[in-house]
Parts: sequence; structure tokens; C-alpha cells
Amino acid sequence: MRIKAKAADGVVSVKAGLKHAMLSYDVAKKKGKEANFIVYITGKVDGKTVYESSTSQFLSKNPFLKFKFKGEAGKELELSWVDLKGNTKSKKAKIK
Amino acid sequence: MERRKFLGLGLGVAAVSLAPVSLLAKEYRKELPKVWAVKNSGKVNDEAGINEAIKAVFGSDKTEDGKIKLKAPDIAENGAVVPVSFKLEKATKVALFQTSNPECLVAIYDIPEAGIPDYGVRIKMAKTGTVVVVAEVDGKLYKASKVVKVTAGGCGG
Repeated sequence: MRIKAKAADGVVSVKAGLKHAMLSYDVAKKKGKEANFIVYITGKVDGKTVYESSTSQFLSKNPFLKFKFKGEAGKELELSWVDLKGNTKSKKAKIK
Repeated sequence: MERRKFLGLGLGVAAVSLAPVSLLAKEYRKELPKVWAVKNSGKVNDEAGINEAIKAVFGSDKTEDGKIKLKAPDIAENGAVVPVSFKLEKATKVALFQTSNPECLVAIYDIPEAGIPDYGVRIKMAKTGTVVVVAEVDGKLYKASKVVKVTAGGCGG
């Protein structure tokens, strides 16, 4: 997971690249694999949610996200995801 | 579910006092398992499936135009990676749909108190279709849509 978080005038702009195959049901069937994709992504600062999305199989492979929230530099943003099979990953990044 | 419950117990008290908005947080895969299965007809401009999905997500499919700035390419040379972004002054919930894939719904965003609904994401579109964004602002639903032409073969059409 790669995260870039930059603050300017009280607004934090985030760009994040997640690593996931995002196998949709159709593609998985063709490949003879089980479908699996990220279903829920959250961003938190100081334990408070600043970004939240429930996602489907139609996000691209290795999904790329952009989002904004009110915040300041110096704090840490923690981005986490959960996939259909229950795997989860999270990473922290300092807001610059 | 168990993990969420467990976390909920620990954080419940703090969440009530600090951020009531965070209590609205929902994992829609679990909350609304059916909306993810609403099918498209396969036609570019046929939004019947989308209207059904909008109703399932927001409880109504009465939408107005305006408020949403939707950005998507006119022509996507690679349907596997189509950048879509939307911007609003404010919103409580935003959902993203399309008519290109077997099912309609791409994502649902709950906008937290500190969130600014200026989001972008890259999506898959199996063929030419319409991208639709619906946002709930002050209890009203707004909609924006755009047709994205997906050219197969990568020759740039």
C-alpha cells in the first residue's frame, strides 16, 4: 500500500494505491479461481474516521484512490481495507 | 461481525461523546447485501437497473440534477482502468454506479464529519456504458451521469 497525504489550508489531500488483484466473479470464473476483492476501506486520524467506502468487484486491479478531508499536517493517517475473504491490511502514513 | 462488535464495545462510549457521526458508519456489504447483486440490462443507456440500485441504497430514486461535478473520460482506451472522480460542496452519502458491468453498483461512500466529498477512484468497465453518481445532500438526492466510450483492443478508436 502506498499513501501520500498532503495538507494545505486545513485540507488534507490523499492519494493511495492499494495492492489487490480485485478478481471479479466473471474473471475469477474464467481463471478458475475464487472471486475476491476489497469490500471496505477506511481512513482514520486519531481514531476518528475521515474516509469510508464500501466497494465492489468493479474497482480496478490495484485500486487507486483520491480523497480529501479536514485535517492538519503532522498527524498520522491510518488506511485499512478488508476483502471478501476477510483478509485485512492497514498502513499508517504521516500527513505532510 | 464479531470483531466489529468487539471493537464497538470498547469504542462505543468514546464514540458517543466524541463523534456521533462515526456511529453512522456502515459496512454496506453487510448492511445491504442485496444491492451489490442488482443487475444491469447490458444496454449503454438503460438505467433501469441503476434506478433499482439507487432505490435500494437511498430508499428513493427521485433525483434532481446539479450539485455534483462528475469527471470521467469521454473515451477510455483501457476499460480495466477508468479514472472517475466527483466533487460536491457537501454530502452525507455518495454512491457510484455504471451500466458496463453485469452488476450496477461500484461503491458507496459515507462522508464522515471531517470528510470532503472530493473523491476519485479507478474502476473497471467491461464495455461502453454510463457512469452515474448519486449524492444525498440535506435529505435530497442529486444525480450526475456521463457516457464513457470504452474502445477495445487498445488502438485508441
